[in-house]
Amino acid sequence: MATSDKVGAVMVVGGGISGMQSALDLADSGYKVYLVEKQPSIGGTMAQLDKTFPTNDCAMCIMAPKLVATGRHHNIDLITNAEIAIVDGQAGNFTVTVKQHAFRVDTKKCTGCGSCAQKCPIETTNEYDENTKMRKAIYVRYPQAVPLVYAIDADKCIGCGICAEECKAKAVEYDQKEKVLEVKVGSIILSPGFDEFNPRLKTEYGYGVCKNVVSSIEFERLLSATGPYMGTVLRPSDGDIPEKIAFIQCVGSRDEHCGNEYCSSVCCMYSMKQAVIAKEHGGNIKPSIFFMDMRAFGKEFDEYYNRAQNEYGIKFVRSRVAAVSEDPKTKNLTLKYVEKGEPKEEEFQMVVLAVGLRPPADAENLSRIMKFRLNDDGFAQTTTFTPVETSRPGIFVSGAFSAPKDIPMTVAEASGAAAKAGTEIATVRGTLVTKKEYPKEMSVEGQEPRIGVFVCDCGINIAGVVKVSEVVEYAKTLPNVVYAAENLYTCSQDTQEKIKEKIKEFKLNRVVVASCTPRTHEPLFQNTIREAGLNAYLFEMANIRDQCSWIHMHEPKAATKKSKDLVRMAVAKSRLLEPLQNLEINVNPQALVIGGGVTGMTSALELAKQGFKVHLVEKEKVLGGNTPKLHYLPTGEDPVAFVKELDKEISANKNITVYTGTTAKAIDGYVGNFKTTLASGEQIDHGVVILAIGAQEYKPEGEYLYGKNKNVMTLLEFKEKLSKNEAKGNEYVFIQCVGSREDKHPNCSRVCCTGTMTAALEIKKKDPNAKVFVLYRDIRTYGFREKFYKEASSKGVTFIRFEDKEKPKVEEKNGKLEVTVKDEDTGKDIFLKTDYLVLASGTRPQHDAEALAPMLKVPITKEGFFLEAHMKLRPLDFATEGVYLAGLAHGPKFVDESIAQALGAVSRATTVLSKKTLEAEGIVAEIEEKLCDGCGICVPTCEYKALEVVKDKKDAEKKLVEVNVGLCKGCGACVGTCPSGALTQKGYKDSQIYAMIDAALEYDKPKQEVKQ
Amino acid sequence: MSSEAQPQTTAHATGVKEPDPKILVFCCNWCSYAGADLAGVSRLQMPPYFRTIRVMCSARVDPEFVLRAFQRGADGVLVAGCHPADCHYIGGNYRTRRRIALLKMLIQQFGFDPDRLRLEWVSAGEGEKFQKTIIEFTNTIKELGPSPMARGDE
Amino acid sequence: MAEPQHTIHEKKDEPRAAAGEFEPKIIGFLCNWCSYAGADLCGVSRYQYPTNVRPVRVMCSTRISPHLVLDIFKAGADGILLGGCHLNDCHYISGNFYTEKRVRLMLKLLEDAGVDPKRLRLEWVSASEGEKFSKVVTEFTETIRNLGPNQVKKDAALRSKIAAADEASDTFRLRALVGKELGLEKTGNVYGNKLEQTELEKLIDIATKEEFERSLILELSKDKARSVKELGKIMEVPTDRVLRHIVVLRQKNMLSMDHPEGFTPTYKTIIIGGEQ
Repeated sequence: MATSDKVGAVMVVGGGISGMQSALDLADSGYKVYLVEKQPSIGGTMAQLDKTFPTNDCAMCIMAPKLVATGRHHNIDLITNAEIAIVDGQAGNFTVTVKQHAFRVDTKKCTGCGSCAQKCPIETTNEYDENTKMRKAIYVRYPQAVPLVYAIDADKCIGCGICAEECKAKAVEYDQKEKVLEVKVGSIILSPGFDEFNPRLKTEYGYGVCKNVVSSIEFERLLSATGPYMGTVLRPSDGDIPEKIAFIQCVGSRDEHCGNEYCSSVCCMYSMKQAVIAKEHGGNIKPSIFFMDMRAFGKEFDEYYNRAQNEYGIKFVRSRVAAVSEDPKTKNLTLKYVEKGEPKEEEFQMVVLAVGLRPPADAENLSRIMKFRLNDDGFAQTTTFTPVETSRPGIFVSGAFSAPKDIPMTVAEASGAAAKAGTEIATVRGTLVTKKEYPKEMSVEGQEPRIGVFVCDCGINIAGVVKVSEVVEYAKTLPNVVYAAENLYTCSQDTQEKIKEKIKEFKLNRVVVASCTPRTHEPLFQNTIREAGLNAYLFEMANIRDQCSWIHMHEPKAATKKSKDLVRMAVAKSRLLEPLQNLEINVNPQALVIGGGVTGMTSALELAKQGFKVHLVEKEKVLGGNTPKLHYLPTGEDPVAFVKELDKEISANKNITVYTGTTAKAIDGYVGNFKTTLASGEQIDHGVVILAIGAQEYKPEGEYLYGKNKNVMTLLEFKEKLSKNEAKGNEYVFIQCVGSREDKHPNCSRVCCTGTMTAALEIKKKDPNAKVFVLYRDIRTYGFREKFYKEASSKGVTFIRFEDKEKPKVEEKNGKLEVTVKDEDTGKDIFLKTDYLVLASGTRPQHDAEALAPMLKVPITKEGFFLEAHMKLRPLDFATEGVYLAGLAHGPKFVDESIAQALGAVSRATTVLSKKTLEAEGIVAEIEEKLCDGCGICVPTCEYKALEVVKDKKDAEKKLVEVNVGLCKGCGACVGTCPSGALTQKGYKDSQIYAMIDAALEYDKPKQEVKQ
Repeated sequence: MSSEAQPQTTAHATGVKEPDPKILVFCCNWCSYAGADLAGVSRLQMPPYFRTIRVMCSARVDPEFVLRAFQRGADGVLVAGCHPADCHYIGGNYRTRRRIALLKMLIQQFGFDPDRLRLEWVSAGEGEKFQKTIIEFTNTIKELGPSPMARGDE
Repeated sequence: MAEPQHTIHEKKDEPRAAAGEFEPKIIGFLCNWCSYAGADLCGVSRYQYPTNVRPVRVMCSTRISPHLVLDIFKAGADGILLGGCHLNDCHYISGNFYTEKRVRLMLKLLEDAGVDPKRLRLEWVSASEGEKFSKVVTEFTETIRNLGPNQVKKDAALRSKIAAADEASDTFRLRALVGKELGLEKTGNVYGNKLEQTELEKLIDIATKEEFERSLILELSKDKARSVKELGKIMEVPTDRVLRHIVVLRQKNMLSMDHPEGFTPTYKTIIIGGEQ
C-alpha cells in the first residue's frame, strides 16, 4: 500500500487495563487513538479488584493515574457506551463503523457532580459491585470512573423527569439518540477482556441456591473498602463475619464435563490473595483453599505461596471438592471431598468459588464482524511466534482475549500490540496527532501578585452546604486578591471563557479556583490560564467540595469557615507562586538492545521496521540465545527455523548494526542521551536501552548423579539428544523442580512442566511403548498448555507426586539408574529402573545482570533477575526512564511471552524515540549551589538516581550535588532530607508550604514578609 | 469497640465552648489525597477542624513543616501517605516513617505529647479509613486539649 | 425530622363516655369546597351522627400528606377520615386524583406498620351530600369502635413501626414517586409514554416496603447497636434482606458499624449533631 493511503490512527477496542495501556503507548508515540468501550466508562475488570497479587497493591491506587491519563490525553478519543458495527478495508486503512448508545446525558455538559443520582427514585443493583450494592437509574459505574459522566439506564428509567429538574448544568437529554460514527484507522487492537465462568452451571457447588456461596469476583467486591460491606468480610445470609472460609479452585477450569478444558492461569494466585487479604481484614478468619495443583508460576509467586502458608496460616488442601451442601438453619456449608484417599467432610461459614476465565460474550460477534479466527476454546487465535496478532493482518490482540492471563502479562502484551499496530503505519506517524498551541506567555516577573479567586457552587454540591457568597466576600479581603466571584460550575465551558476575560480585564497574574479536587480538575484550569497567556504553574486550587462540603454536610457554619481557611491557604501559596518551565531534553532516536536471543532480535527488528536505528549487542558469537536449544515446541512449531528466519531478516535490515562477541563496558547518560562503550571499543550514542540479556538453564552439578552418570541430564540437554535420535531407551524418568522452589531459589521456573510434556510427547511419538514417568510437586501447565498435560496422560505417561520434603533418590546399580520416590497418595516407596533420568532444572539469571544494573542504575531481585518499576502495571519499565526490560531477563517465561514482552519494550521505547524532545517534569528538585556543601545525604533518598555528588566547577576543593532534571520525578523526598536547605522543590517550595501552614493556623505575619 | 462514623460534635452540648482544635494534615498527592477525595465522593462525614496541605509525596514533609505548624499553634499534625510498597515514588514513604518516629521524640522534648503527631497510611481506595483516621485523631487532640503553645507555656 | 405539626390532646370538657367504654378519637380532614360544605348541609338538614370526629377544614384534600396522617397516628389518633370532592369535581381540577394516590401509599404504610388500614378512610362527599356525610361518619365511628383503641402509646414495637412508616413516608424517593405517579399515568413520561398503572403501582409498592424496612432499621438502631440477626428477628424480615438494607443505609451514611470483637457486627443509627 502506498504511504499516502495509510491512516496514522489506531482503534483500540476495550478500555480495560489492556486497552488503556495500548492507547497511552500509541498516543505517546505519535498516533491518534480511538478507544472504544462498551461500558459508559473505561476501567474494565481491574477497576473492580480490591488488591492485586503478589504485592497486595490496592488496584484502584495503581490504576487511577492511568485512568486519568487516558481520559485526559488530547490524542485519545474515548468512545464509550459503544460497539463495533462494521469493519471495512485492510491493514493500514480500515473504516470502522461504531454504534454509540445514547447516554441520555450531554457528556460535554455533565460535570459528574451526582446530584441527579442522589434524587433519582429508581433503585437497581450495581453491576460494578457484582450486584451486591445498589445504584440509581441514572448512574456512573464507579466513583472514580473516566469519563466521569452520568448515563441513564434506559431499561430502568421510568421517565419521571426528576434528574433533569435536579441538573443545574442542564445536561440531561431524554431524547438523545444512538449515534453512528465512521472512523478511519490504520490498525485495530482488540482488548475486550474476558467473562467469568457462570458458577450456576456447576450445580454441585450450590451457587445461586446457597446464599453464602459467592463467586470470586463477588468476593473481591466484598473485600473492597468501596464494596458493599466497606471492607469487612460478611456473609450474605446474615451479616456475620465468617470464621471459616473455603476457596474452591478450578470452578469451570480444567474441567471438560462442565466448563473448560484449559487452566484459567490466574485463579490460584487470586484466591491466595483473597485468602490473605481476608485474613488481614479479620485476624480470626480461617481460610482454606481446596486445589488440584497450586499454579503459582509467575515472578515471585511461590514466595507469596510460602508466605500464605507460613505467615498467614492459610490451609491448603489438595483435593477436588465433590459437593457443597447447606444447613438450612445455620446456612453453613458442608464440603465433601477426598484427601489422601480418605473421604472427608468439613463445615464452613462461607464458600468462595474461584471461577475461571471465559472468552467475552461478544467474541463470536467480533470475530464475525472483523473476520479473524477464534481458537477451539473461543479465544482469539494467535501463534507462538505472533502472540499479539490475529489471523487478519492489521488487527492485533492483547490481554485475556487471546488466553487467560494475569495483569502484568496483559500490560506487556498491550504494549506489544501497540508496537505491532504502530509498525503497520509507522510511515504516517505524527500525521493525525495534534499539538496544542498556546499564546506567548506573559512575563509576571517583578509584578506585585494580582490574584483572581473563582469560587464554585458546583450546582448545589458546594452551595448547598457552604455559603459561597460569604467565601467570595471573604476572599476579596485577602491581600493581593483583586477579583473574586461565584460560579455555578467553574469547570463549565462558559466559565473557562469568563476566567480568560477576567485575567485580561483585571490583569490577573495568579488564579485560584475553589471547587473540587486538583487531582481531576487542575489540568483543565491550568490549560485555561495558559490560553490566556499565563504560565500554568501560576494556578492554585482549594478543594472545598470533596474535602469540605461533602464531608461536613451537616455543619454548614463550620464548613463555610473551613472553606474560607482553604481559600486563604491557597491565596497565601498563590502569592508566592512562580512561573515554571518544563525543561526540554533532546532525544537521540537510536536504540541499544543488549542481548541477541529471540527477545533482543524481535525488539531490534521491530524498532528497525519502525525506522529507528538499532544497535544489537550479543556476547556470544552468534545470535539466537536459548530458543534454538528448545528444538521442539508443544504446538508443533519449529523454533530453530524461526530463529534462522529472524537472523536473516536482521542481516537484511540496514537499520540494525549487530555487535557479536562483545558486551557493554560502560553506559552513561540519561533518557534520550545515553553513551555506551562496548568491551570491543566501539562507542554508541543512543536514546534508549532495552535489556534482553535472557537467562540460563541451571546445571544441577551433584544432584541426582548429574555430572556423574552420562544418562542423567537436564531437559535442554535431553531435547538436544532426542532431536538427534541419540536418546533411545525403554524407560524415561523426569524429575521436576530441580533447582526451583527450594530454599535458595524459592520461585517456580514456569516453563519446565510444559517442557517436560513436550519431551514426553516426543518420546511417545517416537516410541508409543516407551515407559515415561514424571515425578512432580505441582503440574503447572497453565492456560492452554493444560492440553499437553492431558495429552501426555492419555498417551500413558505416568505422573507421580512427591511431597516437597521427600525428594526422589537416585542410585546407579549395575550400570542402570534406579529412582526411588515416595508416592504421596499411598505413602509407599516406588522403585523405577530407568535408561534416562531427565532433570527439569530451573531457569537462572545471567551473571551480566549484576554488571549492567549499576551502569544503568536499575535494581535486580535477590535471585538476580532485573526488577521492573512496578510488578503489576509497569512490567517492562524501570524507574530510570529510557531503560526497558523484556524476556527472560525479567524472569522465566515461554517464547511467546518473551516475544510479547520484546514487542512491548519496543512500544515503551518508541514513546521516547518518536519524539524530538522530551518534556521534563516542571515540578522538580532544584539546588541552591551556594548552600550545598556536597554532603550527599540526599543522594540515597532519590529512587530515580537523579542526584549525584560532583566536583564544583568553580571551586575544585568544593563538592556539590547536581540534580539531573531528566531523571527527577518531582517527589521532593530529597528536599525533605537536605540538612542545609540547599535543595528545594519547584512548585512546592518550603516558603510556599510555610505560607500555607501559617495561613491555615491564622498566624499573623508582619506585613513585609508577605512580599515575594 | 470503636464506632466508625459518629460525628463527634457533641462537645458543644456541654455548654462549655472549647476552642475548636486546629489540625493540619499533610496528604501525599497519589494515595492519601485521593483517599480523602473518595471520602468526599462517598459523603463520609467527619469533624471539620482539619486543613489539608497537599504535597507530592509524604517524604516531602520536611521535619521543619511539622515543627513550624506546632510553633504556629497547631494542636495536631497528621501526615498521611501511601501504604508501604504502594508509594508512587517507589520508596518515599519508608523514609517518612523513620522521619516521623524521630520527630515524635523531638516534639516530646519540647513538651508536646507525641500523640499530637500521627502518621497514617491511607490508600486511594480507603475513603473510610481517611474518615476513621480524622475522627480518631480529632478525638485524640480534643482529649489532649489545646496545644501547649496556645496555652502560653512556651 | 420536623416537629410533629399536630398532637392530639384530650379535651377536658368532652363528655366522658360511660365507664370502660371506648370513645374513638377521630380526625376528619374536610376539603373546603365539597366535603366541608357537605358537612354544613348535614347540619342544616339536622342529620345526626356521633360526636367522635373532630373536623379540620383544608382547602383541598390533597393538602393532606402521608407524613401528616402517619404523624397523627403516631400521636395516638384512633382513626382519620379524609373527605374530598368527587373525582373530576375538584375545585382545583385534579387535586383529589393526587389524594387518591397518596391514600394508597398511606394504606400500604399503615399495613406495614401493623395498623389496621381500616383506621383510615377516604370518602368523596359533595356539597349536596349532607346525608352521605352523616352516614359515613356514623359508619366510620362504628368501625373504629369495633377495632378498639390505637395501641401506639402502650406498644413500643408498634410505636417504632409507626415512626418508621412516618419516616418512610417523608423520604424523597416515596414522595417523588407518588408525586409523579399521576402524571406518568395520565400525561406520560419524559419519553412521551404513558405508564401502565399496575406496573407503576408494583414499583411503588416495592419501594414503599423497602423504605419502610430501612426506616425501621434506623428506628430500632437509634438507641442500641443491633446485629442483622437481631433486626431480622424483630422485624420478621429475612436476614439477607436486612443486610441488603444495611448496605444501602451505610452507603447513605445513615448507619455505622461497630467493629466487633466477635463474629457478629452490630450497627447503630448515625444521629447528626453539630452546629447548624
